[in-house]
Amino acid sequence: MRLRAVLVAIVTLLGAWGILRAQKPFVSYPGVEYEDFPLPPDYQRTAEFTRARLMYTAYLHVHPPGPGVYENGPRSWTIDYPRSDRHLLAGIARLTRIDTRSVEQSVELDNSDDVYNWPMLYGVEVGHWNLNEEEAAQMREFLLRGGFFMCDDFHGTVEWNIFMAGMRKVFPDRPVVDLDSKDPIFHTVYDLDDRIQVPGMQYVYSHITYEYDGFQPKWRGIYDDHGRLMVAICHNMDLGDAWENSDDPKYPEKYAALAYRIAVNYVIYDLSH
Amino acid sequence: MFEFLFKYPSTVFHQGTFLLASGWPLWLLVLGVIAVGGALGVLVLRKRSARMGNIKAGMVWLLQTALAAVVLFMLWHPALSVATLKPQQNIVAVVVDDSASMSVADEGGATRRDRANALLNGGLLQSLADKFQVRLYRLSDHLERIEKLDQVTAQGTATHIGESLKQVVADANSLPIGAVVLLSDGADNSGGIDLETISEIRRQRIPVHTVGFGREKMSKDIEITGADIPARTLPDSRLEAVVNFHQQGYSGQKVKLTVRDGGKILAGRDVTLKGDGVQQTESVLFNAGPAGVKTIDVVVDTLQGEENTRNNKVTRLVNVDSRKPRILYLEGEPRWEFKFLRRAVEDDRMIDLFTMLRTTQNKIYRQEQIGSQQGLTNPKELENGYPTKVEDLFGFDGLIFGSVDAPYLTPQQQELVKNFVDRRGGGVLFLGGRDSLADGGWVKTPVNEMLPTVLPEKKNSFVRVGANVEVTAAGRDSLITRLEEDPGKNVERWKKMPYIMNFQDAGQPKPGATVLLDAIPMSGGGGRIPLLVTQPFGRGRVAIFATGGSWRWQMLQPVSDKTHEMFYTQLLRWLVNDTPRHVTGSTPKSLLADESNVKLRADVRDKNYLPASDATVEAHVEGDGVSETITMTPEPLEQGVYGAQWTAPKVGSYLVEVSAKRGEEEIGTDAFTFRREDGVAENFHVEQNRELLQKLSSETGGRYYRPDDANKLGRDINYSEAGITVRETRDLWDMPALFALLILLRSAEWVLRRKWGVI
Repeated sequence: MRLRAVLVAIVTLLGAWGILRAQKPFVSYPGVEYEDFPLPPDYQRTAEFTRARLMYTAYLHVHPPGPGVYENGPRSWTIDYPRSDRHLLAGIARLTRIDTRSVEQSVELDNSDDVYNWPMLYGVEVGHWNLNEEEAAQMREFLLRGGFFMCDDFHGTVEWNIFMAGMRKVFPDRPVVDLDSKDPIFHTVYDLDDRIQVPGMQYVYSHITYEYDGFQPKWRGIYDDHGRLMVAICHNMDLGDAWENSDDPKYPEKYAALAYRIAVNYVIYDLSH
Repeated sequence: MFEFLFKYPSTVFHQGTFLLASGWPLWLLVLGVIAVGGALGVLVLRKRSARMGNIKAGMVWLLQTALAAVVLFMLWHPALSVATLKPQQNIVAVVVDDSASMSVADEGGATRRDRANALLNGGLLQSLADKFQVRLYRLSDHLERIEKLDQVTAQGTATHIGESLKQVVADANSLPIGAVVLLSDGADNSGGIDLETISEIRRQRIPVHTVGFGREKMSKDIEITGADIPARTLPDSRLEAVVNFHQQGYSGQKVKLTVRDGGKILAGRDVTLKGDGVQQTESVLFNAGPAGVKTIDVVVDTLQGEENTRNNKVTRLVNVDSRKPRILYLEGEPRWEFKFLRRAVEDDRMIDLFTMLRTTQNKIYRQEQIGSQQGLTNPKELENGYPTKVEDLFGFDGLIFGSVDAPYLTPQQQELVKNFVDRRGGGVLFLGGRDSLADGGWVKTPVNEMLPTVLPEKKNSFVRVGANVEVTAAGRDSLITRLEEDPGKNVERWKKMPYIMNFQDAGQPKPGATVLLDAIPMSGGGGRIPLLVTQPFGRGRVAIFATGGSWRWQMLQPVSDKTHEMFYTQLLRWLVNDTPRHVTGSTPKSLLADESNVKLRADVRDKNYLPASDATVEAHVEGDGVSETITMTPEPLEQGVYGAQWTAPKVGSYLVEVSAKRGEEEIGTDAFTFRREDGVAENFHVEQNRELLQKLSSETGGRYYRPDDANKLGRDINYSEAGITVRETRDLWDMPALFALLILLRSAEWVLRRKWGVI
């Protein structure tokens, strides 16, 4: 009996180790905006690429309550999800030679090896994220191994500070710099020297491209020791909304088109650097 | 004993010709034996007693007939005709080995040279001088006449017995040399005595009598017999020194084997010594370091009590080339393997990786990476797509194809890729992918011929199924897949690698191909799929790495782990390390050990890498105080190959710059080095080479002697066909052996009769 128990324990541990080392399967989560979004018919098809969406713990409130304040509670990471992701992946499939999955992969920094199976990571509304030290350490390891993190849809000074508080746990010393228009990331497929602020869906109603005090779009990043961008920061813009609503006739085409071009360039950059 | 029984020494029988001196014909002897035998038979049958049956009678008859035959034989007067040297009219050449190996002190403390001198001064020289004129010589790398024995110093740097004997034989054309006496340990280091020399000595009928000195086996010694290291490589390459050695007296002990550069230890490991006399092969991996010529010493540490410590080290030259090979990588789709392959080799300063990535249906993203430097050195290069001209494609040293389908290249481009390997001598690597290999339609292309596997005819050979990777027996030792120096640890390290995301069935390996890695699908089934397969093709080499999923070796291991980097760096260096240029200079021996002749060689190809047989090729040799330009001439049986012989006048390193021109147009240049070292050859194989000495003497009609029985030499040397001789007839009828045989036969018959009771 005792031997059997030991054997079971060993097998379980090995299995757990195997699971930890292996990819986790696709899971569809209920989101803030979409509780039950339909799956594409080929969602189970394995492919070379998909974009991973970062699941994180969020601060519930970072702004004082008031008009124009939109805070999404603990499920901030699900903003635009999964419609934005699937529209984006469809666009990538159509516009490039990338063999992409039709559905996203949601990953968390849970100290397992799962995140390393998805070298491109996207974080939305990171102005609300609350990374702990363990999560930050794993993010750092992920990036230094060759991972790429793109973050988007956070606006103004308050959200910037929240974002940087988390990012400084990841990289205390690496500078955050403005990306030069000559950077290869703006020229991998499209030449994006002239970029405009891409607003969220709120623009359709407010006709204002910015939120809070995020008046100017900031294309920023953190480079590694070889001069490669490993963190691409899209501050004061909402590319996620642009992909999400690209099929909504109310949402201006010029913003959606730019959002797709930016995504294609960023994805190709990640797959070539 | 022999001489007692047979009246004369064995040399006489060896040298002489048998004859019957009576003058009666041989057939009469035979007839006589038959007649006597018949008569004896009748007599035995008539007179036998009742107790003697047929068999016993037959035995008696045989003994009596044999006795009669011996008597008749003696009556026919057997003799030997032998040539003997006329005293005082012949010269005996006494050749003493003057090489450094004769300074070895064997048992008893006396050196071989001392023992040879003692033998000669102890009476042998006098006994020879009593009958002949004696000419003294000393030999090492050449033969030299001397007047006195104290001119033998045992400091010669090499032993060339064949060349030296040729000189003696040449003297015999004008002098009556009756015999040669060679006192040596036989430790020849010119590769032995060739058939031509032996034939010439035999033609002159000069017997070479040899006296062997030294032990045939050391009791305590380790000797390196060979070391193979590539002559050329790129900076910071991992090289393997394959070392052969044997030992006596230290079986089972551990010893350190090291590789050194100018005294600095580059790498080393402990090895366990095998049985006495057993040839052992071990390897040591080391880093070639920066560009330049490296004088690499391979050393086996000296163990206590070793009798010869000068044979524990050999030297080899390695030319670490400063050229930067260029690799062109065409990737058919943006994917992780492309990204991580580029990252894996980014710190290799010696590889220029130029990539073309098909990002969209009609766009290509070009990048260039030289070490960590990114950016295009020539922005116009390949802006019109994949090369279509020979000079554009052949400007690279290696090619990589990712997930690229065959129709993307025109048939002419496909043929060009094949010629890139076959004619240019470049390396091509195919990666697995959904548009690669069979799935990419490469089966029905000219490229298929050069692939190391037989591609399957099926589609869907690329699958997105996880697979573990194991190294094969060949991969365990290969420098491409060597992650750990110890082969056993290497196998274990590969077993711990993260699984790959996908693999492709590339088919079965062709004969001559080498499988270095296998993929074991995680979906089960127990099968193994060749994953990394290589083979040479024409002047170049081809590899298939049938996956696009090795990027997990980077992402699923800590950032401090450099396995992925090591693997791809080693694979890409293998791809381009041996890719030749338009001019490739070489020499068969980069280290001249106690010799001065060096053969220079140049392989010259025109801009299309076709053999250039009409070039003007020169070699400029620079050394210490030496500067000379030599014209190289075409080799008759090799198109585009030129050769020249040169003599290095002194010890030291020499740089050779080869340049080739066609008219005024320069084809190319190359440089290589070689080194002359003296006093090296005599350190090795210092045991007595008795086999060589015995063979030399037996092939020429002489005899081999140990020093203890060399006193017979004075007598045996008389018998020779060379020089001024007289023919003598030596009687054999009165040999004690014959009388003893008569007594024996008679006694045997008496004993048998007594035993049977028929006396």
